[in-house]
Amino acid sequence: MERPSGKFRFLFFTDLVGKKVVDSDGKALGRLADLVAVTGEPYPPVESLVLRSGRKLRQVPWSSVASVNGAVQLAAGAPVEPTPATPVADRIRLGLEILDRQIVDIEGAKLVRVNDLHFLETKGQLRIAHVDVGLRGLVRRMGWQRPVDGMVSLVRPRSRYLNSDTLLSWKLVQPIESAPGRVRIEATKKALASLHPADLAEIMEDLDRHQREVLFQRLDVETAADALEETSTEVATELLEAVPPEKAADILEEMAPDEAADALSELPGETREELLQAMERPEAAEVAELLEYHPRSAGGLMTPDVMELAPATTVTEVFAELRRRAEDLPVVYEVFVVEEGLLQGMVTLRDLILAADPATPLSAMLREVPASVHSDADVMDVARAASKYNLLSVPVVDSAGMLVGMVTVDDILAEVVGAG
Amino acid sequence: MQAEKREARPGRWRQITLFLAVMGPGLITASVDNDAGGITTYSLAGAQFGTKLLWTLGPITVALIVVQEMSARMGVVTGKGLADLIRENFGVRTTFWVSVALIVANLANTIAEFAGVAASLQIFRIPPWISVPLVAVGVWFLVLKGSNRVVEKVFLAASLLYIAYPISLVLSKPDWGEVALAAVTPTFSGEGTYVAMLIGLVGTTIAPWMQFYQQAAVVEKRINVDQLRFTRIDVVMGCIVTDVVAFSIVMACAATLHKQGISIQTADQAALALAPLAGKYASWLFAFGLFNASLFAAAILPLSTAYFVTESFGWESGLDRKWNEARQFYWLFTGIVAVGAGVVLIPRLPLIRIMLVSQIVNGVLLPFVLIYMLRLANDEKLMGVHRNGRWFNLIAWTTTVVMIVLTGFLVVTGIRDLVSG
Repeated sequence: MERPSGKFRFLFFTDLVGKKVVDSDGKALGRLADLVAVTGEPYPPVESLVLRSGRKLRQVPWSSVASVNGAVQLAAGAPVEPTPATPVADRIRLGLEILDRQIVDIEGAKLVRVNDLHFLETKGQLRIAHVDVGLRGLVRRMGWQRPVDGMVSLVRPRSRYLNSDTLLSWKLVQPIESAPGRVRIEATKKALASLHPADLAEIMEDLDRHQREVLFQRLDVETAADALEETSTEVATELLEAVPPEKAADILEEMAPDEAADALSELPGETREELLQAMERPEAAEVAELLEYHPRSAGGLMTPDVMELAPATTVTEVFAELRRRAEDLPVVYEVFVVEEGLLQGMVTLRDLILAADPATPLSAMLREVPASVHSDADVMDVARAASKYNLLSVPVVDSAGMLVGMVTVDDILAEVVGAG
Repeated sequence: MQAEKREARPGRWRQITLFLAVMGPGLITASVDNDAGGITTYSLAGAQFGTKLLWTLGPITVALIVVQEMSARMGVVTGKGLADLIRENFGVRTTFWVSVALIVANLANTIAEFAGVAASLQIFRIPPWISVPLVAVGVWFLVLKGSNRVVEKVFLAASLLYIAYPISLVLSKPDWGEVALAAVTPTFSGEGTYVAMLIGLVGTTIAPWMQFYQQAAVVEKRINVDQLRFTRIDVVMGCIVTDVVAFSIVMACAATLHKQGISIQTADQAALALAPLAGKYASWLFAFGLFNASLFAAAILPLSTAYFVTESFGWESGLDRKWNEARQFYWLFTGIVAVGAGVVLIPRLPLIRIMLVSQIVNGVLLPFVLIYMLRLANDEKLMGVHRNGRWFNLIAWTTTVVMIVLTGFLVVTGIRDLVSG
């Protein structure tokens, strides 16, 4: 590690921490306890070092460091100041806030624990290059790198262990628990939005409550809504309570109505009312209606966003309608044909695509609906209907036979598999 | 259940449903506490010293409640497991040594559980070489292949079977007046065996895995700060139930074996010795209870060990991961079950000695865990307003110091017994 190879070298946090810090005359000031980095850049530079003498913590700018070898030697006149009492925006105490913590690995879309930090030292600057999340990092922290390396190279000289540290580029990880500034929040938002909502949901489930709330608050409304649709109802409920009501309402509007209703159903009565009040009128009405049903019934699982069209609608008109509503429709495969609210039949997407004449009205290719379920039907009945008749969406009717919504196969699966 | 939640209900019902929703971690942990090692110790205590040690169960219960409440509170407030907190606040080295100690302690405990399985099924004339491998494979499948919810329900239902002990006590027809008196009259004795048994009682009742397990269970249940008081009720109830069971065992053995002057070496002998006194059923109940306790703990200890170790080192963990995604997790679990069961099958092994060793290892680890817990529970940044209060700290530190002194004794006497054994 101590090999000064001309212009730059790599250093681990473990190599630095605990080193003696001496002033220009070689007088010991204490030991290096931590490093403070300025975030916001892709490879954040270390701004200052924290040194400990007894119980006292003090701070010295990294620019006053003359050399780092056996000890950290400071230049003459280096200002040694007390550490700030409160967290400063865009500054991270690496040992305190990153080391040993869980961070999001954006590329791998999962949570990892930081075993060590990897720095690049160049032109008197120290920049964070990687985080080490591998076994070798753990061994290094234990202070056993040399003996373990020796043993491994004795037993298996070509072991992957020896030269492949599990290093993740700092650009591709997101710390959760540090005091961020505006720049960082923007970067985090972008990075998190690039994750698949299902991965993001899983990461959130794995985090502890506090971290989860911090992470959630950094998501934009759309990403938050997508992720909430994928999380368990308990987590969704908890997170909606953690953000201000206006933001919660915005997120709920963005969510599919059936998922929004699920999340709301577990909230205490007053909170639920408050959020419904804060939501836009039409979305709130849809959700409120769904809330009336038992959560494991067809009514509780269904979405009211259905393609329901009159028999006279032509194929061209259907496609136009599909395009217009693409945003809020879930899985579209079956288009339901209704007359005065009563379910008459359906047409599949396949029928529509294969239709020779775009002017054909739906009535001309109407199929009988093989199965519809009552809004009180149990989820297992819905699942059976979908499975037996190969339906991607099962229409839900009320007692009068009026179409009120449909249950899509993804929601049935989630309920049956129990991963919802 | 869920449909009902939507209606606004009068206060009391709401309170009860809220409690039912968070109930579990405390009761389950406390139930597992009465494992094979526990039953053996309680039986020996009753048979050797009669009612002389009954009074200690009161203070032990208080100490257990203090320790377990702290673990539950940390879980609720931080939303993190104890292993996570230790890693994040004390670093890799501490975590490593705590993990090593926890693995060793829980492995020793698991061996004791399989010894309990062997002993209890021997009463039903099933030889160990059949019962132990079968149960080991059964535990493995139950935990890994059963769904999480089913497993928890099986365990909760199983813990109801602890009523077997009070029933066993009733069937042995003790003198209830004497019982009541003995429970509140402290008696001391300088005798070495008395002190050793006292330490054994404490060590077996307050074991380190319990704090890790319970805190993880509280986190997993996503109990939030508003529900903290319900969780406290859960914890206190669990601790009391545990010690009522312990009390029944000590008492049942005191009222019968001790009076008759029968000395016992193991829990299964205790069951056999009860048979002529309270009929065939006392023996069966005892054996049934021991089997249930051992099985329950043999499933939970390896699983929780695998969880703590992998989580604190940042390896993938959890039963919802595939084997290849979470190798360390599955191998740890499998390894502990396999070694635990395998050791019991070694012919002519002194099983009682092993149970003693498992308690010593527990004892050595406990003060460390308690000190780390107290430091964490007093950390203002972590716990905010829910950090330990002054009086609570006083009780908790007293408990810790008493535990350090007692476990110091336990280690010394344990090592002495092993050497002189």
